[in-house]
Amino acid sequence: MLSMRELSRVYRTDTVETTALDRIDLDIADGEFVAIMGPSGCGKSTLLNVIGMLDSPSSGSYVFNGGEVAGLPEAKLADIRKKHIGFIFQSFNLIDELSVRENVELALLYHDIPSSERKQRVEAVMDKVGIAHRAKHRPSQLSGGQQQRVAVARAVVGEPKLILADEPTGNLDTQHGEEVMRMLQKLNAEGSTIVMVTHSPAHADYAGRVVNMLDGKVLVERRRAA
Amino acid sequence: MWRSNLIAGIRALQKNRTYAFINIFGLAIGLAACIVLLLYVRYELTYDDWLKDADRTYQVQLIHTDPETGIRTIQQGSEGAAAAPLAKDFPQIEAAVRADSERPVFLRRGEPVFADMLAADPAFFQVISVPFLRGDPRHALDQANSLVMSRSEAIKQFGTDDVIGRTITRIVRGEKVELRVTGVFEDLPRHSHMNFGLVTRINPQDAADCSWGCVNGFVYLKLRPGASPDAITAGLPAWEKRNIPAVNVGGAMVSEGDAFDWRLVNVRDVHLSGATGDDPARPDNDRTTVATFGVVALLILGIAVANFVNLATARAGQRAREVALRKLAGAARAQLIRQFLGESLLIAGLAMLVALALAELSIPYIAAYLGTDLHLAYLGGDGILLPIIGLWLVVGLLGGLYPAFYLTRFQPGAILRSNRSAAEPPGTGRLRAVLVVAQFAVSIGLIICTLVVYAQIQFARSTDAGFRRDGIILVANMDRKQLATQSDAVIAEANRLPGVASAAGTGIWPASGQVLNASFQVPGRAKPITLGWYSVSPQFFDTLGIRLLAGRTLSPDRERDMMRLPLLRPEETRDAQAALVERGTNVVVNRLAAKQLGYDDPQAAIGKTVRVNTFGADMGLMPVTIVGVVEDSRFRSLREAVEPTVFYNGSYYSRLAVHYDSADPEAVRHELERLWKRVAADVPFEADYADAKVAEMYRVDRARGLSFAGFAGLAVAVACLGLFGLAAFTAERRTKEIGIRKVFGASIADIVRLLVWQFTKPVVVANLIAWPVAWWLMRSWLNQFDARIALTPGPFVLAGLIAFAIAIGTVAGHAIRVARTNPIHALRYE
Repeated sequence: MLSMRELSRVYRTDTVETTALDRIDLDIADGEFVAIMGPSGCGKSTLLNVIGMLDSPSSGSYVFNGGEVAGLPEAKLADIRKKHIGFIFQSFNLIDELSVRENVELALLYHDIPSSERKQRVEAVMDKVGIAHRAKHRPSQLSGGQQQRVAVARAVVGEPKLILADEPTGNLDTQHGEEVMRMLQKLNAEGSTIVMVTHSPAHADYAGRVVNMLDGKVLVERRRAA
Repeated sequence: MWRSNLIAGIRALQKNRTYAFINIFGLAIGLAACIVLLLYVRYELTYDDWLKDADRTYQVQLIHTDPETGIRTIQQGSEGAAAAPLAKDFPQIEAAVRADSERPVFLRRGEPVFADMLAADPAFFQVISVPFLRGDPRHALDQANSLVMSRSEAIKQFGTDDVIGRTITRIVRGEKVELRVTGVFEDLPRHSHMNFGLVTRINPQDAADCSWGCVNGFVYLKLRPGASPDAITAGLPAWEKRNIPAVNVGGAMVSEGDAFDWRLVNVRDVHLSGATGDDPARPDNDRTTVATFGVVALLILGIAVANFVNLATARAGQRAREVALRKLAGAARAQLIRQFLGESLLIAGLAMLVALALAELSIPYIAAYLGTDLHLAYLGGDGILLPIIGLWLVVGLLGGLYPAFYLTRFQPGAILRSNRSAAEPPGTGRLRAVLVVAQFAVSIGLIICTLVVYAQIQFARSTDAGFRRDGIILVANMDRKQLATQSDAVIAEANRLPGVASAAGTGIWPASGQVLNASFQVPGRAKPITLGWYSVSPQFFDTLGIRLLAGRTLSPDRERDMMRLPLLRPEETRDAQAALVERGTNVVVNRLAAKQLGYDDPQAAIGKTVRVNTFGADMGLMPVTIVGVVEDSRFRSLREAVEPTVFYNGSYYSRLAVHYDSADPEAVRHELERLWKRVAADVPFEADYADAKVAEMYRVDRARGLSFAGFAGLAVAVACLGLFGLAAFTAERRTKEIGIRKVFGASIADIVRLLVWQFTKPVVVANLIAWPVAWWLMRSWLNQFDARIALTPGPFVLAGLIAFAIAIGTVAGHAIRVARTNPIHALRYE
C-alpha cells in the first residue's frame, strides 16, 4: 500500500526549525491495521497527515499505491486523497449545519457519482454503522459515540483503500470507544487498510502492528501474534 | 470598570483593523451622505420661511385646464387684473399687490445696461415684508419714480448701501428718466422663490393695457391674521362670475374664467407647488423629488446601520470568551450590555466625527452643483448639533442593541468548557441573511433608478427636438421699441453677414419661457380652441431646420403671407387691424395644431380656413388660411407637452435666430454685435447659443439626476463595504467546514463556488424584491415627462448583473484565500 524512505518533515519559522518527522522508514501493506503510539508532540499526527497527503514531506520518498507522491502538486494529491483515503478525527469534524445524511454524503459529493447511486451508498453505510435512524438529525443532536459513527460512515462511504483515524476514541467514553474500535476492526476484516493514532494501549491492541514513536522517529515496531 | 470597558473596546477595534475600518468608515460615509441629503431636503422644505408674516402671505396661481385633453398646467404668474377685485370682494384680504418683472435699460457710466427689476404696487413691501435697512417700507413706492434696491445692488451701483436720495437713469422709449432711491432692503436669501434686487412702482397705464386674459406677473396677498385661505378659494368660482366679463368670440360667449381657475398658495409652498415660474435662477422643485432625496438618505443610513449590526453579530462569536470570562469575574448581564452599547456608541461617535468632516468638505461642492446655498451650522436656529447627537445615539444604540443582548446571553460554562470561541448566537444568521437581502434589494433598486434616470437625461439632451440646436445664435430684445420698427431690415442685414447661413425673426425659440396663445374658432365647433400663436419671419423654418410636411412655408413675396401692423397712432392701428380682419392672413401650423383643428393628415389641412381672436373680441375674428404644415418642434422642456402652434408673420419678433456655417461662431457673434450697435446703440446686445440654452434648461434636472446617481452609488459602495467585511467573517467562520470538505476531496474551485453561492442566493432574492418596486417607481417618474424613454428590461437585468458582480467580487477574494489554506490548519482552527 505505502512505503516511506528517509522521510522527514521540518517546520521552519524565522527563528526556529522543528523536525516533526526525522528520516522515517515505514512500510504498510494492503489490509494491515497499524496503530501509531507515542507521547504528545512525538510526530504521530504529522505522520498521519503526511500519509493522508494533507501535509507534504520536506525530504525523502513516499510511495503510495506504487507511485511516488512526494512533491506532487496539491491538485494531484487532492485527487489521490479523494479516491483512496478516508479520514476519522478525534473531534469528529462534522459540519454542524448539515444533517447526518448530508455529512456522510459529503465524501461522495466531489466524486463523479450520480445522485441516485450516492443516495443508495449513503443509506447502506448508515445502516452498517447503525446510524440510519438518525439520518435527519444534526450532529449537535447526537451523542459523542453517535457522532463518531457518522464520521466513520463518512470515512468509508467512498470505499477507500486506506482509512486514517486520528485518535478516533479520544473524545469518547469507554463503552463508545470500544464500539468504534470494533467497527474499525470489522472494516479491517472486510479488507480496508487502517492506520490509527492512539494514546490507548487497549485500543492499540486491536491493531495487527503497533508503531511507537518518539521525537519524530520510529522507535519500535511490535507485531501482534496472529 | 469604565476604563476596562473602554480599553477592551479600543483593543477589540485594534485587534481587527479591517473590521474597525469597515465599521467606522462605512458608517461615516452613510452618515455623511444622510446628513448632506437631509440638509438639502430641509433646505428645499424651508423656502421663504424667513419672510415676516410668511404664514399669511399668499401667491395667487393660475390653473389652466385644457378642454381637449384635460391636462392641467399651473403657473406662478397670473393676471394682474385679478389683484384689485380680490381685495375688494374678500374682506379677509388685508392687501393684494401686483408685481411684474421688467428688464429696463439703465445708464451706468454712460453705457446702457440691462437690469432685472420688479415693477410693483405701492403696498408691495407691506405684503412681501422683506427687512429694510434704510427707508420706510410703507412709503418706499409712493412716487412713480421710486426705486428700492437690495444691499448688494446698492453696493454694485454706488459702492455703498447709504444711497437714499441717489438717482439712476433709466431709458424709457428712448428717453431718459431719473429714478430716485427710496429704500434699501436686505438681500433675499437664496432659498426663496422670489429673486429681485430692484423694485420700482408699477406703471398704471401698462397694467390697464393688460386686462383679463393677459398674464403679466405675479399677484400676492396678505391675509388678515386668522383668516383662512380655504374660505377664499371656496369663494373663487362665484368671484370669477362676478368679476370676469364674458366676451363674444365668433358668436360664442366666452369668459376667461371658463378655461382658467385660481388658487392661493402660501409663499412657503410656492417653491414646491408644481407651478412653473419663469426665473431660471430660481428653478422650482417638486415634492416627489425632495421626498426621493429624503428616502435615499434614509436608505443609505439604513444600509450603513445594517452593516454595523451585521458585522457586530458576525463578530460576536469571537468575543464570546471575553464575555464568559467577565461573567466568571462577576460581571452582571446589565453591566455587559452597557459595555457593548458603550462600544457601539464609541464606534458610532468616531464614525459621526468622520462623517461631519466629510460633510463639511463636500457641502460647498454639492451646494454649488445643486444651485443652492446649503451650509452646515451646528448652533443657532438652523443648527444641527442636537439632531446630530440624536442621530449618533439612535445609530449607536440601534447598532449595539442586538449584539449586546445576544452576546451577553452566552452561558460562560458552556463556552469555556467547549473551548470554542467562534460560537454563533442563535438567530443571528437569519438576521444577517435578511439584512443582506435588504441591502442588496436597495442597492439593486438604486442602480436601476440611476440607469433609468441617466438614460432619460441622455434622451432629453439627444432626442430629436424637431429643430436644429447646433449652430444657432439667439439675439434677444428684438421686441424693444428701437428695433421693432426696423426688424425686417435687421434680419435682412444679418442674412448678409459673413458666416451666416440664415437669419430669422421669431416669437418662439429654444428654451423660451414666453407662451403666447390665441383662441381659434373652427367651423362646426361650438367652443373655440386655444393654440400657440407666434410671429415668425419667412426664413424661420429654414434657419431652425424645421421640416415641412405639406404645402409651403411663409413667403416674403406674397402679400397675404404678411400681417404687418404699422406702429401708428391708436386710431390708425384700429383701422389697420380692421383691414386685416377683413382680409385675413396665411399661416403655417405644426402637425399637432393641424390635428387639433381636425386634420390628422397634414395634406388635408392645406387651404383650410379657421378664424382667430387676435385683436380682441370687439374687432371680430380674423380668418387665417393654412398654407403649410410643419413637423412638431419641442422648444421647451421634455416635461412639457408639445405645443400645438400656429406661425404667422407679424413683422414683430422677440428674438433674432441666426444659423451660422462659420467655423468661428464668436466672429459671427461679433459681427452681429456690430450690426446691433449700429441700429440700436442704446439697447445692450445680448446673445446666446441655442445649444447652451437647451443644456441650461436641463441643468437642474441633470444636476439632480446626477446627484441622485452619486448618492445611489455611495449607498451601493457602503453596502459593498459591509458585504466585504461580512464575507471575511463568513469565510473565517466556515474555515472548519471548508477544511473538512477539502479533506474529502473538494477542490479550490468547489470551495470558491460554495462561498460565492452563499452570497449569490441573497442577490437572487433581492432582485425579486427590487425589480417590481423599481419598475413602479420609475414608471411614475418617467410619467412626468411628455417625451420619455421606454422602460425596457435592460436596466433591470444590468442592475441584477452588477449586483451579482459585486457579490462575487467582494466574496471571491476571501473565498480563494480560505480555499487555498491547508486543511490541517483549518481543522486545528477549532
